[in-house]
Formats: sequence, structure tokens, C-alpha cells
Amino acid sequence: MRLLWPLITAAILGLVAGALSAAWMAGLLLSGPRLGDGVKVNGWTSDWSIGADSANPYIRARVARFGLLALRKEEAVYFTAARDSDGNPLSDQCIYRVSGGEMPAEWWSITLYDGDSRLPMNEDGALSFDATKAADTGTPDNWSFRVSPQQNGRPGEVWVSSRNAGRFDLTLRLYLPDDALLTRPENALKPPVIDELFCEKGAA
Amino acid sequence: MMRWFAAAAVFLLMTLIGHLAVLNAIPSRIMATAQLKMAERGVPTYQWVASQRMTPQTQTIVRPSPDLAYAICRFDVSDGPVLLTAPASDTYGSLSVFDQRTNNVFIARLDGEEDFRGLVIHAPGNAPEAPDGAETLAMPGPGLALVRRLAPDQATHEAATALVDQSTCKNLDHVD
Repeated sequence: MRLLWPLITAAILGLVAGALSAAWMAGLLLSGPRLGDGVKVNGWTSDWSIGADSANPYIRARVARFGLLALRKEEAVYFTAARDSDGNPLSDQCIYRVSGGEMPAEWWSITLYDGDSRLPMNEDGALSFDATKAADTGTPDNWSFRVSPQQNGRPGEVWVSSRNAGRFDLTLRLYLPDDALLTRPENALKPPVIDELFCEKGAA
Repeated sequence: MMRWFAAAAVFLLMTLIGHLAVLNAIPSRIMATAQLKMAERGVPTYQWVASQRMTPQTQTIVRPSPDLAYAICRFDVSDGPVLLTAPASDTYGSLSVFDQRTNNVFIARLDGEEDFRGLVIHAPGNAPEAPDGAETLAMPGPGLALVRRLAPDQATHEAATALVDQSTCKNLDHVD
């Protein structure tokens, strides 16, 4: 009996520790670690195991949590940036200018998500910027838009609203990506640049 | 001393077992929860259902794209083979199928670049006769089919939604 109770206690604690560590690595507890076939280009990160049958169980669990029903990389790739060009976390207390050029894909879009991976709860109708809007600027190889909690920029300036987003990220979706992007992403992709224009004191 | 070695060994073993068990259960659990929530919202099986334009107020999944029109069909091949069709259009679009472990097991382009004539999904080892030109896919249990079409504004979203009526999601064993 003296041996039994320590063993039972150890077994229960072990199961709990195993379950919690799995939930943490899957991103169900806190954000967990970054895992998998990671790709990073100038601060924008992606995971090309998303949607693949071969995705290891950690990637599979994280994708189920953060990107359920995501597509394979041959169909679409997703890059996410959560920091500006100075390395500060993106915040709805700040105003940013996002700029870029042509992207190596048939069509692309940039969407803002809050810390819970949801569209921010506002009614501004300014959720994303895309290739069509870039073409509408007349300079699809040199476009920019503003990210801010209020539309008070220059007249006609394209805007994406960060109102009620808290700490947020931007997701770049590249649909039907070029082969070059899939083989040499560091060379093929010139990702958008996120520059902070203004920040309320102590926000960043 | 022996007692503590044994306890440590049991702790490590059970940690490993608990870790792997939970890890492997997460995708299926999340997919089952997603299916349940859809059912609770009245999304039927064997029927394409077009979603509203994705907004903060209508979002039902994480990281939805507000630039796409979605249509979804729930099915379960345990009840018999399922036929999926969706017409092509002249903008970006795709039909993808996800199994109960969230794997993207099939995808077809719907932008006219591929000649997609339908897909019959059936349980493993139980291949049915497919309609002319249709592809076949074996997978177990329940699944989700998802059509995405480029629809960055209200007009294109309405056009994409109209295509849902020309699409098929039906159990081939059910008599119409």
C-alpha cells in the first residue's frame, strides 16, 4: 500500500501534465510554441504543412485550432505578421502604413485579425486590402494603405480598421501562388512593409 | 528510494500517454465541435448552404476571409456515397473536402482552368459507380465540403451565392 499511492498519484499527475503539455503545444493553452515547416520572410511567417496530410500531429492540432479548413499550399499560402518593421507588436492604439508591390500569386489579400484570430468586432466595413484594390490605386506595383482605429487619414486614402482589435496581426493570403514562391519564398516574395506612423504613449 | 524511482517512471510514462492521447484527439474533437455548431445553427447535411458575407458579426470560424464567398456541405459517407458538383466561374474559386481529422483530402479549381465534373466520395473499400467524368475519393466517416469563390464586394458575393443553386451535394443511396 505504501508503494501504491505514490504510483497512483504519479499516474494522475502524469496524465494531467501530458494533457496540459499537448494542449499548450497545440495552442489551446496560451499561444504555445511555433512548430512545423515554418517559412519566414522579413517578419512574415507561414507554415506550409497547413492542410497537408503529412502534417505532424502538433501542426495538425495547431491548424485545427487556428486555421480550421485551411487550404494546401499549392492552392493558397498564408503569411502572418504580428509586429511592425521596428519589431513592436501591432496594436489598435497605433496607426500604421502598410506598403508593398506585386505579389507572386493569381490574387492576394491582407486581412486584419484580433488576438483571438477573429475579425475585429466593429462595423467600419474596412476589414482587408486586396489585389483588386491595389489595381484600383493605378499603381499595383507600388500600393499602400493605412491601418488605424479611425478613418481620419488623408482623403481617399485606403483604410483598414483596427478598431476593437487590441493586439492584432495581419494575414497575407496568396491564392494560386507561383511555383517560385513555393520553391524559394525568400527570393520570390517581397512581403508588405508595416511602418508605424503614430502610437499613443506606452501603447507599443 | 525504489518507490520514488517507480513513481517517477510511472509519471513519465503517463505523461507521454496523456500527451499523445490528447494531441491526437484535438483535430477530430475540434472538427466534431465545428460540425455540431453548424448543426445547431441549422446547417443541414447533404445540402450546399451559402454563408452570409463574412463580417465581424457573421463570422463562425477563425480567420474567415471577408473577400471570399463560402458554401458548405456536411456529409457522412457512413450513410452511403456522396456526389459533389459545383459549376466553374471566371474568377478564382475552389471546392475542397476535409475529413474528420481536418485533412484537406481533395481540391478542385472552379475557375475554368480544370474540367471538374464532380466528385463521388465513398467509404474505403466500397467504391460505387461514378457519373460520367466524375472523380472518386475514399475516406471514412463524416466530412465537410467547402466552396470558396472570390467575392470582394456585394455584387460578386451575390453572383457567387447564385451558383450554389447549380451545385450538388447528395447521398447517392437516398432516393430523390
